[in-house]
Amino acid sequence: MNKYREIAKIYMKAQLVWRADVIFNMVFTIAKIIFAYLIWSIIFEAKSRVGEFTFFGMMSYYIVNSFLSQLEMSPRISNEINQRIRNGTFSKYMIVPVNVEGYFAAMEAGIVLFYFIFDLIAAAVWILIFRIQFVFTRDLLTIVCAVLMILIGLVFMVQLNFFLGLLTLKYQGIGTFLMIKDNLVSLVTGSIIPLALFPELVVRIMKFLPFYYVTYLPSMLLTGYNQSEALYGVGIILIWAIAMQGIIKLTWKQYIRKYDGVGI
Amino acid sequence: MINHIRKYGRVLRELIRLRFQNLMILRLDFFGPFFVDGSLFFIQLLAFRAIYSKIDAIGSWGRGEMILYIGTFSLLNAISMTICFFGINGIPSKIKSGEMDLYLSKPISPLFRLTFEYVNPGSLLLIPLSIGIIVYGAGTREGEITGGSVLRYLFWLVIMAFLYYIMEVLIRCVSFFLISTARMEQIEEAGLMLCFKLPGIAMYGIYKVIFYFILPYGIMATLPVQSLIGEMTWKTALQGIATVAVFAVLTAMVWKKGLRHYNSASS
Repeated sequence: MNKYREIAKIYMKAQLVWRADVIFNMVFTIAKIIFAYLIWSIIFEAKSRVGEFTFFGMMSYYIVNSFLSQLEMSPRISNEINQRIRNGTFSKYMIVPVNVEGYFAAMEAGIVLFYFIFDLIAAAVWILIFRIQFVFTRDLLTIVCAVLMILIGLVFMVQLNFFLGLLTLKYQGIGTFLMIKDNLVSLVTGSIIPLALFPELVVRIMKFLPFYYVTYLPSMLLTGYNQSEALYGVGIILIWAIAMQGIIKLTWKQYIRKYDGVGI
Repeated sequence: MINHIRKYGRVLRELIRLRFQNLMILRLDFFGPFFVDGSLFFIQLLAFRAIYSKIDAIGSWGRGEMILYIGTFSLLNAISMTICFFGINGIPSKIKSGEMDLYLSKPISPLFRLTFEYVNPGSLLLIPLSIGIIVYGAGTREGEITGGSVLRYLFWLVIMAFLYYIMEVLIRCVSFFLISTARMEQIEEAGLMLCFKLPGIAMYGIYKVIFYFILPYGIMATLPVQSLIGEMTWKTALQGIATVAVFAVLTAMVWKKGLRHYNSASS
């Protein structure tokens, strides 16, 4: 465990080198908030409710979802694995005396912990600037479930991106697929619009997928919606994380022998 | 003059031929931009379809107008991706590495070569896809579209495709003066992503000033759509033309000044 803590620490410290990145990461959360503010303020001029949302409920949702989306930085894992397998430098991870997936998880943990506080500050600043009457649940059980779901969701996204990165061993050119995946994930995690605005059938199908529980449901729970789904949600995302771990083990065992360390 | 045009025509043909040869080596990446950008616009259509299932209009725009907007933005992006994006996008790295020397020492305009050197035929499919979205949008909306409004739309489309291009060049020209333009490109990406989701009619106050006059991504797809649906006023049209003219002059000045400032690999 100490090894992984050290890896996380190194990556946390490494972020300090890129101070401008930290500031820009904070500032660019505003793009999503401006989009939400402008479009929903026009829509709510004509209506007091859209679906189950009030204007401030909707804005609170976007603030929380934007904060969680900023924390979800795992796409860099699949991109890094893809690049390194393609240029033959993935060996770097195979010679260190740690589990490769654990290495990437620790790396992600270090980066997320570093950005956590800055993204929290950014969210607070946007609430003040846009004068949002922030809606936040007071139910303790809901908060605990949402936090658990966020943690397991982040772990799941690390697993997913690690798995997708490993597919480079078999399919080589997956860069395009990874970019399409990022586009799709932004939709199915509710980063563009709340999934509750989609037809009932679509939402019901989404509930079987893990992405519903990564940032969407936690955002809804924390802003006081969908509280009946809290416990169920933790269970579903946990099952997905366990299943994904099994898939990773199988994939690793089957494909790692294809790696020859000379690039493609 | 005719000889000049002929010469550039031959250069263009050669650049495209070389690009095709290069793309054939990396066949897997050939249609990459089409699938990536296609998925982005498809997702945007789905998102607005979901929003319009709960409301009738955003400002004065109904579902049809919004589909027209997404299709128009997609078309502007498709034109840029097919013709110049990959070439222009390489400007900062060429300045940083000193590779720009190779462009300055050739007997053709460096900007011409940079613009057409990396044409991307894989993105060409985005153009019919975008036209399909526009036709669908026109069919969805209730108002009538006349031949005159289509012509006006095409006029504004050409103007805005030019604005899209000069904004790409302008932002990357900053590398002549700074070590890294990564932040400028991030601003460009954030501005484009925001305005691609948000039509100009939804902007007001300071946001309108920013996205109409400072980072004019807000007008790029809005003005063509407004001209098509008969919502464009003379004031908006003149503002649009003036904005494009100002940015064209600014880009030409920054490019020229940048070339003078460029001192090879140490830039």
